Amino acid sequence: MIAREDRLPPRLRRSIFAVTMVALAYVILAPLTSIDAAQQAGLPLLTDKVWFRIVTTVLMFVVLASAWNIVGGLTGYASFGNIAFFGLGAYTVGALVANRGWPFGLALLVAPIVPALFALVIGLPLLRLRGHYFAVATLGVGVATGEVVNNVGPLGASTGLFLPIVRSDLLFFYLMLAAAGLAVLTTWVILRTRFGYGLLAIRENEEAAAVIGVNTNFYKVAAFCIAAALSGIAGGIFAQWNSFINQELVFAVSDNVQMILMAVLGGAGTALGPVAGAVVLELIIQTLAGGGSGSVYSQIGLGILLAVCVIFIPRGVIDFFGGRSKLSLRYFRQTLRETSA
Amino acid sequence: MSQFIQQVILGLLLGGVYVAVALGFSLVWGILNIVNLAHGALVIVGAYVTWALFTRWHVDPFLSLPVDALVLFVIGYALQRGVINRLIRAPLLFTFLLTFGLNLVIVSLLLLIFTADFRSVTTTYSGSGLELGNVTIPYIRVGGLAVALVLAGILWTILNRTRIGAAILAVGADRDAAQLVGVDLRHIYALTFAIGAAFAGVAGGIISTFQSITPTAGDPYTLQAFAVVILGGLGRVSATVAGGLAFGLIEVLGQSAPWLGSGYANAIAFVVLVVVLVVRPRGLLGRLA
Repeated sequence: MIAREDRLPPRLRRSIFAVTMVALAYVILAPLTSIDAAQQAGLPLLTDKVWFRIVTTVLMFVVLASAWNIVGGLTGYASFGNIAFFGLGAYTVGALVANRGWPFGLALLVAPIVPALFALVIGLPLLRLRGHYFAVATLGVGVATGEVVNNVGPLGASTGLFLPIVRSDLLFFYLMLAAAGLAVLTTWVILRTRFGYGLLAIRENEEAAAVIGVNTNFYKVAAFCIAAALSGIAGGIFAQWNSFINQELVFAVSDNVQMILMAVLGGAGTALGPVAGAVVLELIIQTLAGGGSGSVYSQIGLGILLAVCVIFIPRGVIDFFGGRSKLSLRYFRQTLRETSA
Repeated sequence: MSQFIQQVILGLLLGGVYVAVALGFSLVWGILNIVNLAHGALVIVGAYVTWALFTRWHVDPFLSLPVDALVLFVIGYALQRGVINRLIRAPLLFTFLLTFGLNLVIVSLLLLIFTADFRSVTTTYSGSGLELGNVTIPYIRVGGLAVALVLAGILWTILNRTRIGAAILAVGADRDAAQLVGVDLRHIYALTFAIGAAFAGVAGGIISTFQSITPTAGDPYTLQAFAVVILGGLGRVSATVAGGLAFGLIEVLGQSAPWLGSGYANAIAFVVLVVVLVVRPRGLLGRLA
């Protein structure tokens, strides 16, 4: 799980870079063809409602997976409670817009603050725990936060909150794109700073990190807060985009597992791994769901996919780039043997 | 006052259910070092077996408990031998994700087979109870508590009085050393998980007698089993019993507090969990790590 960027052979790197740039340009520019002016100029329409829904969802999971990666991938603390940050961000915007009549733009500025403060408060006791204990304690945070929100009258209790509808696929697409860019950039910057090396040191050996002068508590809580703020932004955008939120929608534990799977599948501990994982996995899930996510078959598909991925490619697809491992039957046999009884 | 006594009795009876649910969870965690997120789903499979026997052939729910155990034993053995053994030496995040995936698959299959309708097992004695003054003790819950205590006795006997139990404890203490002295690791892993699943099945049978079941009804039980194990401590049957009863009491008394509602079961579980983890990490009766 060590960061393995910048080690690809130059030719492969160049071609991957080119492909990524083309894909990125398409994703950024294609929505513009839906503007009236472009339509009048006779440009072909490259996007429709389904396209916007799928791509915006993918971008949302890019934010969530990248945010999880800062805690789970870089610091080595497998959090199952990040969904609480997403939910709190969504409910912050929901409450401010629906109950107080704030404009969405202003409410969105508050969306990262509430989850970050929450992370600060729960981070101090929780980040003292390790392994299973941390994982399940955070799982409890996610479930319990959702349950409390579900019981609070002003937050709509079990009915949920309805926000005034804003019909602009373009707006939410670019907002989510900006959030995704921010999340990736944050990870990229962290990986190149003293702070990032401190986090990696904590992941590899916390005692040793403390001995060489890493203020482990401060570093861990800071990473937790950054992840919370990023997830909160995604939640805030989601609240207005969907114009309806309730506990089931924004505190779904299965979404938390999805972000973990994306980060792990793509390559935890790298800046671009979670992005690759989010894109690939969310597209697979959307295909399985056949448009209506949450169907029984997509759940079965996701469950089996989870099992197959963690058994056969535990180091993520990023392991196949750079010539260390080749995608082959032997690789699968090898990973299987490493972990089998 | 009688109100308080009633709550305490109900708390202990509910605690009995938690003991039953947590025994298998605790065994699998302690020996295999796996926190089984599919445990609640296995509990609900047991509940559906009881429900099916009851609706189809009018089998008394308490008589169907051995069938629950048998069915879940087979499922558990197959799951561990076929799937989880492939990942037993992986970092815990991976076993976590794997059991979550299993949970998704089991719950979805239950949805396909039994649909999302509420199912309940209502016997002739379901509503009746022993009345002592103002205090009512439902028979069915007393039956549940009794079964839970019998289960705890069976688990203690298996672990401490049989050869297989010795092998299981040996694997839990030191896998490599156990293998060196001739323990078949794969078989013992599968057997341990199967016993855990069988206990989950019996717990499900008990649960079906007082609660409507749906495919997703098991998820809260996973979290509660975890809280019970944390509260009691890992590595002892008696610790699980103490943890379960204490947790049942906390939940019932907590929910009857005027400023809380019945909607806070998970929140209470979680607060207890974090407080215990921070204040006394080895639980009430747990062994020192």
